Amino acid sequence: MADNLLDAIQLRKEFGGLVASNNVDFAIPRGSIVSLIGPNGAGKTTFFNMLTGVYKPTAGRILFDGEDITGKPPHAITERGIGRTFQNIRLFPLMTAVENVLVGMNCRLRGGIIGAIIRPPRVRREEKLARERARELLAYSGLPTRHTELARSLPYGDQRRLEVARALATEPKLLLLDEPTAGMNPQETADFIGFVSRLPDDRGLTVLLIEHDMKVVMGVSDRVTVLEYGEKIAEGTPGEVQRNERVIEAYLGKGATE
Amino acid sequence: MLALWLLINLVKDPTEFFSVAVIGLTNGSVYALIALGYTLVYGILQLINFAHGDVFSLGGLLSATVILDAFDLTAASSAVAIVIGVAVSLLIAVAFSSALNTTVELVGYRRLRNAPRLAPLITAVGMSFILQNVGLYFWGPNYTSTDNLIPNSAAFSIGGVDFQWDNLVVILLTMPLLLALTWLVTSTRQGKAMRATSQDPEAAAMMGINVNRTISFTFALAGGLAGAAGLLYVLQFTTIRFDQGFQLGLIAFTAAVLGGIGNLAGAVLGAVIIGLIEAFNEGLEWHAAGSDWTRSIVFGLLIAILVFRPEGLLGERTPEGA
Amino acid sequence: MSTARATFTERWRQLPDVVQRLALPALVLLLAILYPWYFGGLPGAFPAVETAVIMLIFTVMALGLNVVVGYAGLLDLGYVAFYAAGAYVAAWLASVQFEQVTFHLGSIGIVDTLPGIHISIWIVLVAAALFTTIVGVLIGLPTLRLRGDYLAIVTLGFGEIVPQVVRNGDDFGGFDLTHGTFGISPIDSIGFGNTLNDTLGLPASYQTSTNRAELFYLTALALLLFTVFCSVRLRDSRLGRAWIAIREDETAAAAMGVPLMRTKTWSYATGAFFGGLAGAFYAVFKSGAFPSDFFFNFSIFILCMVILGGMGSVWGVIVGGLVLSYLDREGLAKVGSFASDVLNRPIDVPKYAFGVYGAIIVAMMLFRPAGMIPEKRHRLEIDEGVESAAVASAEQGGDGRRGDG
Repeated sequence: MADNLLDAIQLRKEFGGLVASNNVDFAIPRGSIVSLIGPNGAGKTTFFNMLTGVYKPTAGRILFDGEDITGKPPHAITERGIGRTFQNIRLFPLMTAVENVLVGMNCRLRGGIIGAIIRPPRVRREEKLARERARELLAYSGLPTRHTELARSLPYGDQRRLEVARALATEPKLLLLDEPTAGMNPQETADFIGFVSRLPDDRGLTVLLIEHDMKVVMGVSDRVTVLEYGEKIAEGTPGEVQRNERVIEAYLGKGATE
Repeated sequence: MLALWLLINLVKDPTEFFSVAVIGLTNGSVYALIALGYTLVYGILQLINFAHGDVFSLGGLLSATVILDAFDLTAASSAVAIVIGVAVSLLIAVAFSSALNTTVELVGYRRLRNAPRLAPLITAVGMSFILQNVGLYFWGPNYTSTDNLIPNSAAFSIGGVDFQWDNLVVILLTMPLLLALTWLVTSTRQGKAMRATSQDPEAAAMMGINVNRTISFTFALAGGLAGAAGLLYVLQFTTIRFDQGFQLGLIAFTAAVLGGIGNLAGAVLGAVIIGLIEAFNEGLEWHAAGSDWTRSIVFGLLIAILVFRPEGLLGERTPEGA
Repeated sequence: MSTARATFTERWRQLPDVVQRLALPALVLLLAILYPWYFGGLPGAFPAVETAVIMLIFTVMALGLNVVVGYAGLLDLGYVAFYAAGAYVAAWLASVQFEQVTFHLGSIGIVDTLPGIHISIWIVLVAAALFTTIVGVLIGLPTLRLRGDYLAIVTLGFGEIVPQVVRNGDDFGGFDLTHGTFGISPIDSIGFGNTLNDTLGLPASYQTSTNRAELFYLTALALLLFTVFCSVRLRDSRLGRAWIAIREDETAAAAMGVPLMRTKTWSYATGAFFGGLAGAFYAVFKSGAFPSDFFFNFSIFILCMVILGGMGSVWGVIVGGLVLSYLDREGLAKVGSFASDVLNRPIDVPKYAFGVYGAIIVAMMLFRPAGMIPEKRHRLEIDEGVESAAVASAEQGGDGRRGDG
């Protein structure tokens, strides 16, 4: 694990008797784009939820940037530098786009309750800078206007972009994207994948993509890991994975049932 | 500590201890019927139906009126008249409370099924106040009292502990209701539909279950039990007032939580425990806090359970926690 | 006629933005400050000054509860606990209740040898608010982890326990904490004392002043303004955003780095602060803390104000608070006597007050869940020029009401 930003070691999660993640080993090299794929119900989201602290693993450890973050609460993990989006968009619907992004900055800002009421120059300055930065992030994520609209009144594609901007606002080292292209048309998907591929160079980010559609990630990923029924069945470069027999089987099986 | 306190009381005066326990058991039976209503509704909608206690008190008030005005029953009435009168008021109370509870769901909660979780909860609080005031309007601010229809005399006694008729009747009427309910939920089609809906309403709907009807049925069932509890309460205590339901409802809710909300057997167990706690606290001689503190003790217990063991005595830990 | 109006509108638009924005609030404020002096000329339906004091106090409480329910989305059904705690702290610190000790600090209008604790009411108000804040934190820490509906029931439990403790608290092993059902009375007067009266002309003692009602009114108004100021400042801050994020989606908020427990506890503590402050001032106004004031229904009454006005909406909650407390103290009775006159038979409307509140709650949740004056987040950024036009037109309903923010 020479220069891995994240190492998951023998990660296991059981729900009652059901094993949703069966001792999975998983690593994300710094500065890379890694994808976690697998058919629906393969345990991708469970795995994701363990990394982000939503679930506590039954067993195993997660090391992030040299620190053990196993079982830490979500906000503590975010504070350490893991930002995320949600598969089924989860914005704060009655807040504006800018405010959504500002919530993402929550753990990078310092203003407390007394500061909020008295509003000394220090807090004013912090707020002003934060708002400017929020607008930059929105523009960077492909949302140059409509910053003061409520999140719920934005069109679907813009909501996705807003979610990414919000995740970037947490100043992550590692960005987790959970099926970010779900519901996008082919053109939007291509644009989005282009955007993701620039993130490591632009902002020094490492990216973990979760997808059930293999085709989406093949172009951008440095490495691909395939899950099925909570087990890791293959790992390697996109080319290697595509030729892997178990992967083909898993996906053909899936194709037959869909 | 608690066990020790109970033990000392037991040793000091065993007759008193068991007499008090019988009272606790009786109260527990009434609580059980109310608690089941909370648990049924919570199980299916994850909603604390605050109005449930008021359905109970309206059921009780109505049955008191039936006893007083329709049958004109007094302690001097013949046994046959009392049995018939009580049976008819039971039916009326059950029918009325079922209809009322179903209406509450239809008017208040149905539209909010997909609203944020707080919305139906707040509505339930409002509903409770509306029902209380309905009671206030029709029955006035004072207690409605009946004669003591079932004698307080001992039916039989074991080792000096009297089993009074009124306690006995309440317990004997509760048991078949509980058994019938268990059978209904576990063995009938409608019961299976209820369980399916409570686990996953969407999947249940896809399997051809009429979710709306199932939920209405659940409210009807819960209301019916509350109505029966209302009548039993009147038989036991002979008085009832419009605002008593809210308090009793909260106590019953505590019982449901204690047993594990959503769990039928748990509700009954919890209710019996709460009934006993209450009776011991108010009835025992040696170092009991007394009735001034009963509510604090019950709600203190409620808070303690929710904080330390939210799944209750018989509930299961859900995989994803809170 | 219409041209005159058009010219007026045009001129109005040309005024600086600040003037446009502040004109209406300034006018309202002016009318509020002067109320006791023109009240006499108004029709009988307007509340008496004494009633207005209570309306203002209750509105402070509603705003405090709004921080918990409206901002953070935590249903607190036991807010009366803070109200009671504040009132009793005031009573403990400024009456003869603890006659075992004699301690005076800045108290006015009493002899120095009077037993009991007698601290200046100004300090007492702050102490009561801070005390209830701590109580709020202590209650919050174990319970805020619970899911929303469980939290509701736990707070309800506290709302039941506290009044019972107050009622039965006259004999803790011989120690009289709350003086039982009698309550603690009288409480020392609020005022500035003789020295400040002589030098600055400030009122020496409210209770003995000939302008008692007016003095309490102005002080209550100041408290309300302070509460509004804090509410607005908090709403537009990092903490306020975190609260609202939790209300909107707890999981997403946590994933964005919002510490749930700490943030919720802050909201609970803030709500408790204002509840305690209002409770203490109420006790001082009535010169006593009486257990009959603290019953469970009171929590629902305050909640109803928040729901009627609009959860999270500061201006909405103010309106909701004033309207409901007016109804409670005078309005329902007036409606009742009016209805009795018209229908020519006695109708006791106040008797059904809580039925009315219950009906309001249900009707609002079913037909207008956002309240009479819904919260409007985007107004915060109205100063950002270009986009506001687009916002106004895209806004749902688009009635262009100049309300929140």
